[in-house]
Amino acid sequence: MTPIDPITLEVVTEGLISVVREMRATVFRTARSVAIYEARDFSCGLFDARGQVVAQSEDIGSHVVPLPWSVEASLARMGNDLAPGDVIVMNDPYLGGTHLNDVTLIYPVFHDGRLVFFPAVREHWADVGGAVPGSMSGSATEIYQEGIRIPPVKLVEAGKVNRAAMEILLSNMRVREERLGDFNSGLAACRTAERRIRELIARYGIDTLLAGVAGNIDRSEARMRAQIAKLPDGEFLYEDWLETFGPAPGYRLEPLRLPLRLTITGETLTADFTGAAAQAPAPVNSTLAVTAASVFITLKSVLDPKQALNQGSFRPVTVVAPEGTIVNVTHPAPAGSHGEIRKRVIATMLGALAQACPELSSADIHRTSFHNLIGGVDPATGKEFVHYEWSSGGNGGFAEADGPSAMAAVDWGDLSTVQPTEVLETRFPLLVEWSRQATDSGGPGRTRGGLGMRRALRLTRGHATYSLLADGAMVPPFGVLGGESGACVGSYARRDGADHPFPTPGKVGGHRMAADDVVVLQSAGGGGYGDPTERAPEAVLEDVEEGYVSSAMARAVYGVEIVDGAVDAAATVALRAAIRDARLSLVAVATEAERAYEAVGRGTKRVAWLHPDDAARLGLAEDAMVELLGPRGAPLRAWLRCAAATTRGTVPVDPFAARVLGGSPGTPLWIRPVLRATLG
Amino acid sequence: MLWVGVDVGGTFTDLVVYDDEAGTVRAGKTPSTPDDPGRGVLNGLRAMDVSLGAVRRFRHGATVATNTALERAGAELGVVTTAGFRDVLIVGRGNRLRLYDIKATRPPGLVRRSRVMEVAERLAADGSERIALDENAVRAAAERLRELRVEAVAVCFLHAYANPEHERRAAEIVRAVLPDVPVSWSADVLAEHREYERFATTALNAYVAPRVAGYLARLRDGLAAGGLRAAPEIMTSSGGSWSFERMARLPVNSMLSGPAGGVIGAVSLAERLGYRDLITYDMGGTSTDACLIRDGRYALATEGQVGGFPNRAPQIEISTVGAGGGSVAYLDVGGFLNVGPRSAGANPGPACYGRGGTEPTVTDANVVLGRFRPGEPLGGEIVIDVAAAEQAVGALAHRLGLDPMETAEGIVRIAVARMTGAIKEISVMRGIDPRAFTLLAYGGAGPLHAAAVAEELGIRTVLVPPLSGAFSAFGLLVADRRLDFSRTRVMPLAGASLDDVRAVLAPMREEAAAELAAEGFPAERIRFEAAVDMRYVGQAFELTTPLADDARDVADLVAAFHRVYEERYAHADDGPVEAVSFRLSAYGLTEKPGLPSPAGRALDAARRGSRPVRFAGEMRETPVYRREDLPATARIEGPAIVEEAGSATVVPPGARCVRHPSGALVIEWERTRS
Repeated sequence: MTPIDPITLEVVTEGLISVVREMRATVFRTARSVAIYEARDFSCGLFDARGQVVAQSEDIGSHVVPLPWSVEASLARMGNDLAPGDVIVMNDPYLGGTHLNDVTLIYPVFHDGRLVFFPAVREHWADVGGAVPGSMSGSATEIYQEGIRIPPVKLVEAGKVNRAAMEILLSNMRVREERLGDFNSGLAACRTAERRIRELIARYGIDTLLAGVAGNIDRSEARMRAQIAKLPDGEFLYEDWLETFGPAPGYRLEPLRLPLRLTITGETLTADFTGAAAQAPAPVNSTLAVTAASVFITLKSVLDPKQALNQGSFRPVTVVAPEGTIVNVTHPAPAGSHGEIRKRVIATMLGALAQACPELSSADIHRTSFHNLIGGVDPATGKEFVHYEWSSGGNGGFAEADGPSAMAAVDWGDLSTVQPTEVLETRFPLLVEWSRQATDSGGPGRTRGGLGMRRALRLTRGHATYSLLADGAMVPPFGVLGGESGACVGSYARRDGADHPFPTPGKVGGHRMAADDVVVLQSAGGGGYGDPTERAPEAVLEDVEEGYVSSAMARAVYGVEIVDGAVDAAATVALRAAIRDARLSLVAVATEAERAYEAVGRGTKRVAWLHPDDAARLGLAEDAMVELLGPRGAPLRAWLRCAAATTRGTVPVDPFAARVLGGSPGTPLWIRPVLRATLG
Repeated sequence: MLWVGVDVGGTFTDLVVYDDEAGTVRAGKTPSTPDDPGRGVLNGLRAMDVSLGAVRRFRHGATVATNTALERAGAELGVVTTAGFRDVLIVGRGNRLRLYDIKATRPPGLVRRSRVMEVAERLAADGSERIALDENAVRAAAERLRELRVEAVAVCFLHAYANPEHERRAAEIVRAVLPDVPVSWSADVLAEHREYERFATTALNAYVAPRVAGYLARLRDGLAAGGLRAAPEIMTSSGGSWSFERMARLPVNSMLSGPAGGVIGAVSLAERLGYRDLITYDMGGTSTDACLIRDGRYALATEGQVGGFPNRAPQIEISTVGAGGGSVAYLDVGGFLNVGPRSAGANPGPACYGRGGTEPTVTDANVVLGRFRPGEPLGGEIVIDVAAAEQAVGALAHRLGLDPMETAEGIVRIAVARMTGAIKEISVMRGIDPRAFTLLAYGGAGPLHAAAVAEELGIRTVLVPPLSGAFSAFGLLVADRRLDFSRTRVMPLAGASLDDVRAVLAPMREEAAAELAAEGFPAERIRFEAAVDMRYVGQAFELTTPLADDARDVADLVAAFHRVYEERYAHADDGPVEAVSFRLSAYGLTEKPGLPSPAGRALDAARRGSRPVRFAGEMRETPVYRREDLPATARIEGPAIVEEAGSATVVPPGARCVRHPSGALVIEWERTRS
């Protein structure tokens, strides 16, 4: 490989990023799906001949970071069978894709007969067929209901579009002209990239250019290795839960378990999801590409947030996710739930990193992509409408600052998540009654979790249906280092001045609305960081003045007494001491793994067996959710079981829990109810 | 009589004085005085011996509003808003400003949540009243804000663009309670939909209002005390000239006051020289601004912002990048070589300023490469210290393992790559090929790097205007009075008539005509331009489409929209179209100064010797010329350096520099170059 001086390296890098920026501009200029050119739900990337990310721009992490799997799957299928003028098209989740709506074009660029680059474009096509308009169905039980599946195929061969294949594709999608336009926009972007790559080759020579690519990837790798090396070696375990519900009429919660074993060895790191729940015939599964990308996004965001992203950052990282589970879905289970799996993989990573490097990471973020849909026919125009909103919630607190409120999470690029009321009310028969940050929704902590949004939408005329695909409506975002939970996702039908929850919270399919009906949507808060009784009393006072925290919460959880707009210092000291004294500490006693979990329908619950007297001291009944806290990291969540056989003052822990909590048998553990704030 | 243009920059205050009887122009430079910029203005006028009594036109480009916003030095702000919508200004659009950073936070807002007062009132999207304004609640809110000692108030109600009455009345009530506090209301600042952007622009207006108003009043008094009788004017971000009084009320319109001067000067110069398609390239000490001028016209931005806050006041579309002469070159963790956006500023400034700076800057790199003449005064006062520049660049070179010359050339290459990126944003990224354009270079560092930027973009012609170091100040003198109005009103165009469209524009036209007439513009010196923001029904964003004077019916307007759409997005639909916002720009046309171009007699007489200068890895003995002594028809083959006060034009090997009769320098390459 030609050596490259640091200046040429910078200039070449600038040139490569510029290629991607121009690809973006081309897609934006020419696409036909509203989701692409308004919400900018697409991404571009430049890959080398081995499928490594070379450069990207302001693209959406959840699109770009999984792309190498798509390129790899394509190369595995047709690596030796590619020629100039070929274009690969794919969306198959089982072969390196994400969900079916993310249609990907991969465009090999040759130089002197040698494959040198793949520009690639991933666009969210508004429809790819399937059971419902828009293709994303909350009730899918197999992938066939989610649209047409495209394995990596050469839709263009030697510059000629395969018309037969194209006809079959378009005939299986709604609004075919728009889809053809989307395809052409991706193609135009790739051709622009090829032209610019040729200019760069002419200018710097292919050897220098490839040396620049390699140099760039190598130094990103070096940075990430150096960052990982600073972390303590060891195994860090955590588990989290996705929500599914049993059948009517009980709609019992059947949580799916996602465990993580994060191993740090010197400069390398392995994230192992062995033990994840089996894939389910419901939209709760996603692909290896999405799972691994979520691991990468977390590590990049925690360990190396400064420099541009490329594949080098991910070389020291291995991801293990067994086939046939919710994190590595196989045929024929639905794969539409990438938004939920992403957030949960990030959560387990944050839970493990809270043990390894709590000073670098944050508490849990708002747990869901929160897809709300209100659609119907507007009687004023006679036309169909669909209002789609995805309010972001709070982000987790971290060492230096409170988590930001109502802000897109790290996997979402720069997407806007609050839509203008004035535009919404002009386009749809909807009225936004109010739209506020929900007081007390941020998880209390030494630094507080961010607040979620609470919005009330009224249908002003006609009829409509309301649907929701979310998660985190039962299991809230967790705090770390003693920080408390943020508020859960919520959605309610408001009738007669009261909010009525839906029987399967977070998952609503086709709730009927008549004129003047109101739905209330609540995005989740972020988890708190550190013990809330250690938060500076002045910061709590300011939160109360600004309306972020109620004075009741300030007293009960932060232990801050506010009198006449000022902190009563003496009362606060006493209150805080009383809160800490009242905490229930139980001695860990060893139990075997089988005792720690209980099957519930297709799901599993971690159970905490407490003596009835201890349960009474917590004020909790059977099956309430509790948190077990050790001296470090994040809490483990469990469902309460009362058992007279458990010795009073003890809590049985299995080896997994002992390692998460860092408490070997005989050490005290703090046990508390999961905080459920009342939101106004 | 004299015309005076004064452009206050971060480092220097530039002045241009035009004598309309003698037909002469003088330029001057004085250090800016950021604590009270008006002092620098008066200093500069004194230094140039300007008799204020003889000044008939005083035009100003000011950065007070921008600096107030960037330094977060504005007013303690209070807001009165629609019940239920207290958080519009607090959470914005809920987007993330830094990707891939778990610790990314939102910058603190301009207003604290506890200073946002909700009052009962509500309009529907069509402007009809759903809930009447609770005037007592407004009064109570104002009284509470008075207790909280706010220094400015913004009144921000939903759908006020469709019906300003609630806001107007609420502003009246607030003024009655807080008579000494500036009150801005959103429909007055920007009558367009999308509440966050409108509220934020209004809040920004209120936030900077006390400081800008105070500054303008002090400067006006200072000028009057010096004998100025003419009413002083200030440049708007959209490239028009306003009275100080109007700007004191709507200061959010001055955020791009300085750069707008350069663009207006460029348009005027281009017209005179017969260039229709230009890219302006204004490189100063901390940043570079670029603007695309096509067919003699510049575009207005649709997504302006300042310091991370939306600013939707009308403003020229200018692409900015943090690369200037003072940009620092440094190694990041992991060996990444960066140039900017960190700047050495004016103090200590580049190492070569000899004021204690030790980090190498782009200017230092140019000194090392031989492009600045040792000892040449830079901006009046500063003398170049070559040894200090060599030492700073040498230290970085040592860490990189390169020789200092290579390093200096590398710093310039990286800066050029970043500036080229800013120009690509407004050309290539819009589907416009920059090679068809001429690069107009100005600002202290523009002419130094213009040839390199042009080569990078494939541009074949570079223009360096006369007064290149003070070109933005010159541009202030050629601006017309310009008033911009807009109203959002969604109107499906199927079945609408041109009269419906003109009916929305008519009140704006009347208001503009009355205002310009009151300022003394006769009807024949008033010109209007109308435009309509349109979209396909079902879309959520709009494109601004000019309404031609000779449009006969709505079909002409719709056809124009299809053309604009196709140009921007490379395809057009045939679906139904709706109008969303209506825009009217009114111009009061003013006289333009001439631009004299004295020339020397012979090329040899302009020559100031030669020195070794590095180009593309090679040292070349390079002749140096003094710009003001160049003969009228000078023709110089590169390599060459043409020096003037405060700047130098680099003519690289392979290029030729010709002096245009206007005094502009034209750098061209042979057509054969790839």
